[in-house]
Amino acid sequence: MTQAIEIHNLSFSYEPQLPVLKVADLTIPRKTMTLLYGPSGSGKSTLLKILAGLLPKYGGQLDPGSEISLKATEAAMMFQDPSLQFAMDTPWHEAEFALENLQIPPVEMPARIQAAFATVEISHLAHRQFATLSGGEKQRAALAVIIAMQKPVILLDEPFASLDPVNRKRLLQQLQTQVEAGKTVIIADHDLSNYQAVNPNVIQFGTDHQTQVLTSQAVRQLLVAANQQPVIPAKPAAQFPAILTGTNLKITQPNQVLIDQAHFQLPANQISLLTGESGSGKSTLLKVLAKLGTYQGSLLYAGQELRKYSARRWGRKCGLVFQHAADQFLNVTVAEELALSQKQGRHPYFTPANLQNALTKLGLAALTDRVVYSLSGGQQKKLQILVMLMMGQPLLLLDEPFTGLDAKSAQAIRELIDACQATAPATILVVSHQLNGLADWVDCHFKLQNQHLVDRGEVLA
Amino acid sequence: MNRQKIDLTRTPQTFCWGVFLLTWIEIYFHKGDISMSKRYQLKEVILLALIGIIFGVIYYAGDFLYNGLSIVLTPVGLGPMANDITMGLWCMAGPMAAMLLRRPAASFLGEFLGAAGEMFLGGQWGASNLISGFVQGVASELGFTLTAYKHFDWFGLTTSALTSTFITFGWDWFRNGYAHFSLQLNLILLIARFVSMFIFCGVLVKLVANLLERAHVTKTN
Amino acid sequence: MNPSLKLALVLLISLEVSFTQKLGINLILIMIGLILILKTRPSGLTLVRLIAIPAIPAATLAITIGAFSPGHDWFFAAVLASRIYVYVCLGSAVTLATTPLELARSLEQNCHLSAKFAYGTLAAINLVPRIISAVKTIRAAGQMRGLTLSFWSPQLYFKAILSALTWSDQVAQAMESHGFVDDQARTTAHQIRITAWDWVILVVSLALVQGGLIVLP
Repeated sequence: MTQAIEIHNLSFSYEPQLPVLKVADLTIPRKTMTLLYGPSGSGKSTLLKILAGLLPKYGGQLDPGSEISLKATEAAMMFQDPSLQFAMDTPWHEAEFALENLQIPPVEMPARIQAAFATVEISHLAHRQFATLSGGEKQRAALAVIIAMQKPVILLDEPFASLDPVNRKRLLQQLQTQVEAGKTVIIADHDLSNYQAVNPNVIQFGTDHQTQVLTSQAVRQLLVAANQQPVIPAKPAAQFPAILTGTNLKITQPNQVLIDQAHFQLPANQISLLTGESGSGKSTLLKVLAKLGTYQGSLLYAGQELRKYSARRWGRKCGLVFQHAADQFLNVTVAEELALSQKQGRHPYFTPANLQNALTKLGLAALTDRVVYSLSGGQQKKLQILVMLMMGQPLLLLDEPFTGLDAKSAQAIRELIDACQATAPATILVVSHQLNGLADWVDCHFKLQNQHLVDRGEVLA
Repeated sequence: MNRQKIDLTRTPQTFCWGVFLLTWIEIYFHKGDISMSKRYQLKEVILLALIGIIFGVIYYAGDFLYNGLSIVLTPVGLGPMANDITMGLWCMAGPMAAMLLRRPAASFLGEFLGAAGEMFLGGQWGASNLISGFVQGVASELGFTLTAYKHFDWFGLTTSALTSTFITFGWDWFRNGYAHFSLQLNLILLIARFVSMFIFCGVLVKLVANLLERAHVTKTN
Repeated sequence: MNPSLKLALVLLISLEVSFTQKLGINLILIMIGLILILKTRPSGLTLVRLIAIPAIPAATLAITIGAFSPGHDWFFAAVLASRIYVYVCLGSAVTLATTPLELARSLEQNCHLSAKFAYGTLAAINLVPRIISAVKTIRAAGQMRGLTLSFWSPQLYFKAILSALTWSDQVAQAMESHGFVDDQARTTAHQIRITAWDWVILVVSLALVQGGLIVLP
């Protein structure tokens, strides 16, 4: 039990000869918090799922020579998407379900569940429907279930991705408490900005599918760097004519107020940046602007209330580049996606020559026969942005457009947007947590904090 | 008129036995597969139920279609045709599940588990959803059984559309009183139902299956 | 009453009235169904929907039989219309008084339904809000590309099924992570029994329906 988790000669692949994860030797000490850190696609989630015994059962092949000194039954896993990890309707029922699976006698269940729920302070939520809980509450419920299961190893796959700052801090503290109580906590994450307070071990995953244990000094440097953000010069939004105006705008989610704003205006035909901690409501705001969510108060676009636009008419006015690229696609191959946007799109920039040029610059020219869902994350992202730019809506919302892109691709995307803006300017609102290269590109900058949209341009001026 | 009624009270049993017989034929056809259908994995069970529910959710848009058609057609005496015209939409989950998983029992489970899910979704039909789900599931499964589970293509889909047409029609013969309509009306309704089944459970399902196949997500054994 | 037996009883009665033509028994069953529904204290909206939505198919059938069919049999028209309300009232009496979880547990414990069917379907039911928002997102993605997707559009189903494939995989993994193993024994947090009383209700109800079918018009 107290021996460290040892991994030797592990090799995992989905297609023969193309390993997505190779670990020659790796030791994960018990009773500590260990962070698997690396960009998306580097194999850190894969390792977690192998440890949890979910892979290769749910796909792929594990090399027969792989050795792991951890029984899958010792571990339980928490997933990135809070709402895709429960079979039941309430936290209490889910905990009962888990304990039934472990064949715990029914008489022991209530005490065990109550204790676990008290540990993560969700006793008051025990009998609430999951659909009425916020993402953070669901994640804490998931942790409570794992604690009730009394598994010695807790695995977490990007557990903070959709959590607001308060819940994130709380969850992290509770995990730290579990470590102090003798549990082993292993977290996969691509973002280090949350971990300064807990000082974890860090194992770095590279894009070459290799792993490396970092020294404590290197860890400290990484953690400090993760919290340093470049300053983005920005002009006050009031300088420009407004195209979209919000008054007494309130956006809520179950159990949570995300935005409560007396006045907000988006400058016409400029590029505006929207930042804020993860879970603060940036994506939700974009969804509301795309008429995929509800709001209270008033939102006027070109003088007309957003609610009054029909879905069809709004689709011609406003485009949303979804955070999850695959959501954007409607067809099968790259060529079909391009053909649809060519047929329906109205952006004057995309003449056949310019389109070809754009495809070459984005590295998509040779991929036209490929199935879009088989492209890499970065290729999907580039194609997604391209087909939406071709549509030429006067209002374009981009949710994390640079995720999974290397610096060169991100630059190519920005140049393409600039070229489009030069031909026919549109109002662009970009949500991005990655700020490199944005300093001279955006005109205005809003920061969402404490349920308010702060105009950074005014703060700087 | 009295005589006609006596006939009717006899035929229900015949029909019931018919459906039972068909169920047993299906079970016989995949004797070995019954254990195989037991081996449906958890994720496939969830997928089959999800497919059924998704088609239900999308169909709610079609509910208006049914109501609109009813209101237009009833005054000219063709009211029940609204049911037949939209019937294909109701039965799509089964053939879709079969085309996706290409296994015995997939069609039945897609339709039946979907109905089980829908019965809790504010569906005012409540538990009686299960009965229609069962009949429709058996009906669409039979098409793939008769083609020996070798034709997850036009042939299988058309056969399934045919078996669905006849069995659900037989069901409505009693349940919705089709036995009391004129022969002429019944023929019109039967044709309308087959056209609907063919368009939705045949053509539309095939188009979706083509997309899935080209996206490489369909099971290929 | 035990959820499985309650379901079986309602299904049996529904089948029975599908194959008989007695107005009296239909009306009595509707009354019983309504009483059972009212006992669950449903919202006003639920009640209105319960009565309003079946009205169209019921009226359609009744008018066609009464006014347009050879026999002009208005009695049978009333039988058919009331039959639809029997399905709705009895069916809703079950679903309003039973949660999906209670039924799943009962089917697992009393009917020995394999746990993966009971809880797999339950997991799918709990994903419904997600399904609805996914369908909205797909349609919005269509609108933004100049396509109006509706129930006749292959792309709508295609995209929804792609999502379902991802979800079913993820939820199944989450369930396994919560200790679920196919065909492995489980304990039960709440034992659901079939009491002698349940059997009495079942048998007596069926007998009463039989009697009613013979005696009533």
